[in-house]
Amino acid sequence: MANPFDINGGACVAMVGKDCVAIACDLRLGMQSLTVSNNFPKIFNYAPSTYLGLTGLATDVNTVSDLFRYKVNMYRLREERHIAPQTLANLVSSSLYEKRFGPFFISPVIAGINHTSGKPFICGFDSIGCIDLAKDFIVSGTASDQLFGTCEGLWEPDLSPEDLFETISQALLSGVDRDALSGWGAQVYIIEKDKVTQRLLKGRQD
Amino acid sequence: MDKLVAQYSRPSHQNEFYSEQEQQDLSESTPPLSLKFNLPPVDNSSAFLRAMTDDHSNPSCPIKLAHGTTTLSFRFQGGIIVCTDSRATAGNWIASQTVKKVIPVSRLSRGEDKPTNEPTPGLLGTMAGGAADCQYWLRYLSQQCTLHEIRHKRRITVAAASKILANLTYAYKGYGLSMGTMLAGMTPQEGPALYYIDSDGTRLPGNLFCVGSGQTFAYGVLDAEYRYDLTEREALDLGRRAILAAMHRDAYSGGFINLYHVKEEGWVHHGFDDMNPIFWKTKLDHGEFSNVTSEL
Amino acid sequence: MTSLMDHPSRGETIGYSFSQPTAAPVKEHSFYPYTDNGGSTLGITGSDFAILAGDTRSTSGYNINSRMVPKVFKIGGDDETGEGAHILLSVVGFAADGNALKERLDTVVKMYKYQHGKSMSVGACAQRLSTILYQKRFFPYYVHAILAGLDEEGKGALYSYDPVGSYEREQCRAAGAASSLIMPFLDNQVNFKNQYIPGSGEGHALEPKKAEPLPQETVKQLVRDAFTSAVERHIEVGDHLQVMIITKDGVEEVYHPLKKD
Repeated sequence: MANPFDINGGACVAMVGKDCVAIACDLRLGMQSLTVSNNFPKIFNYAPSTYLGLTGLATDVNTVSDLFRYKVNMYRLREERHIAPQTLANLVSSSLYEKRFGPFFISPVIAGINHTSGKPFICGFDSIGCIDLAKDFIVSGTASDQLFGTCEGLWEPDLSPEDLFETISQALLSGVDRDALSGWGAQVYIIEKDKVTQRLLKGRQD
Repeated sequence: MDKLVAQYSRPSHQNEFYSEQEQQDLSESTPPLSLKFNLPPVDNSSAFLRAMTDDHSNPSCPIKLAHGTTTLSFRFQGGIIVCTDSRATAGNWIASQTVKKVIPVSRLSRGEDKPTNEPTPGLLGTMAGGAADCQYWLRYLSQQCTLHEIRHKRRITVAAASKILANLTYAYKGYGLSMGTMLAGMTPQEGPALYYIDSDGTRLPGNLFCVGSGQTFAYGVLDAEYRYDLTEREALDLGRRAILAAMHRDAYSGGFINLYHVKEEGWVHHGFDDMNPIFWKTKLDHGEFSNVTSEL
Repeated sequence: MTSLMDHPSRGETIGYSFSQPTAAPVKEHSFYPYTDNGGSTLGITGSDFAILAGDTRSTSGYNINSRMVPKVFKIGGDDETGEGAHILLSVVGFAADGNALKERLDTVVKMYKYQHGKSMSVGACAQRLSTILYQKRFFPYYVHAILAGLDEEGKGALYSYDPVGSYEREQCRAAGAASSLIMPFLDNQVNFKNQYIPGSGEGHALEPKKAEPLPQETVKQLVRDAFTSAVERHIEVGDHLQVMIITKDGVEEVYHPLKKD
């Protein structure tokens, strides 16, 4: 049986810049070699500057994104404030570990800016909730090897929002162009203190 | 089968150094483009090969061979169109986006393979399945075709050439070769002729073939629009459009569109063009591929 | 569908408790002749040179066998040092197979020179390497080979191979353990994939940047960047970077340090 992580394909990457973060994903949803949809964004918004990217099995991407929408809404009603990226990270971690022996087949990525400290925050997870904190970038999905290569080669510290956009876009597009199961266009979010810019990238359609 | 394997294999310890045959192979200046192959010292060599190289039955196999393709070829009133993608994949990894999957066969067509309007005499073969298998055996076929030309003072027919290849693949049936190839050519005896040959030993003449992981997508476009009396322009566009559709929907096809036209005087190369600009032109100018958003 | 004939015969399993199973099926030990020795190689060509580079770490599993096992070889040299060679070969995968392949190709290129009184062209050598690999189609060399040299016009020539001999001439190619990390970076930085010319148009009218041969210094820097990046993220790559540059003046070999962790 095929690896559940590789059935639908998809890639996601998050990067830190100077007082900003970026998160980007491709748009493909496939069934093995067949491309079913080229409009399947994998990044979900949970607070004004808190974003969650989910790659892996598409059905779990939908389930988990909805589950966290419910959990984050409940959090907001109880606490009367937006969830911070760090808090979401711990919520994701504990929620995934609840399914330790029957996990969701997903690799989540979080990117956001903490509004109390004003500091950028990114992190990644494995499918059972181990948090991977990073100061530079986080990659996930079927093109993760390729993204490690492009990000490691292109990223540098303290990028401005414009340069960060260029870097993450080049890293993602070049990365997915070497992976058969992801690509077909991409979406990028540049998150600054009080501004979020969303852009759609024109990618190769093969 | 095992008997056949046993006949050609020998325990490796018998030859601590190069055997006489090997010494001769090394010192001879002409490469042995022959049928002598090194076999592993086991009872069932094809099972061994499968365990080592077939990532379908064994995803963690150590040796990943290049696979995945869309190739098509069809006959029409003006000759034969041959069109392919250019992607090679090993698992989900795209090993190359610039593979030349149309291989000229026979001596006369060995010249420079540059886009030109001068037809080059000879046959064309396409490549699907194992890249090395196709490259090697089409080169072997090329050698045989050249010998035929020298012996008989005329070019080999497509029927005869395809039969050489089919006999060969049939002889190696079960050894683990993987190829699905189409041979296209035009000879005075046959007119435009098109054959499909694969590693099972199949050999079929026909009007229209698509081979590879993206074949169904190409057939979809081709069957809808194909007629025998297409004009040359229409036929070239149809070939290109069918490959484009397959590249878009099939993850294991993509890269560049490689387009050839086989005429009476020989074949003409109509370019090796990146699919992406062609895709966006097709979409924006003709309103096709409306599933893809163009709002940037 | 059921069929009585399909039931496996139980005859053999019924027996006395003290009976020994007789005639155990002849078992062939699983034949696994390969080891992955890790490492990565990379080749890039320019208008009048070709660069072939590889790290020097040799691993098996999580162990490091050696920190100094070069993967790039001179082919067809006059003596053991490879002096006078005009072709370079890099092999990555199973080092024993790689070494055997190198020895074989070296012999062939030398025999060619002795018999014809002239050096083998890179194009001919590339084709010959393909047939050598294919001779072992049913018991493959577990290697990804890259061949480099200068073609008849003096331009850099680079040929890359799969384990059974399919080959292609390319501008740049990474092979081995970290190829999936290096190759997309090279697509972006050498062939300018996904790069557009700023201000050449708006939206769909934006023109893509054309790839052209890079100067030698730029390429050298790219090679080092590619490997320092790969070392960060791949455990099988590291220790030293061996770089060979072939120009009309001959082959220059340099070693650079890489991280050893």
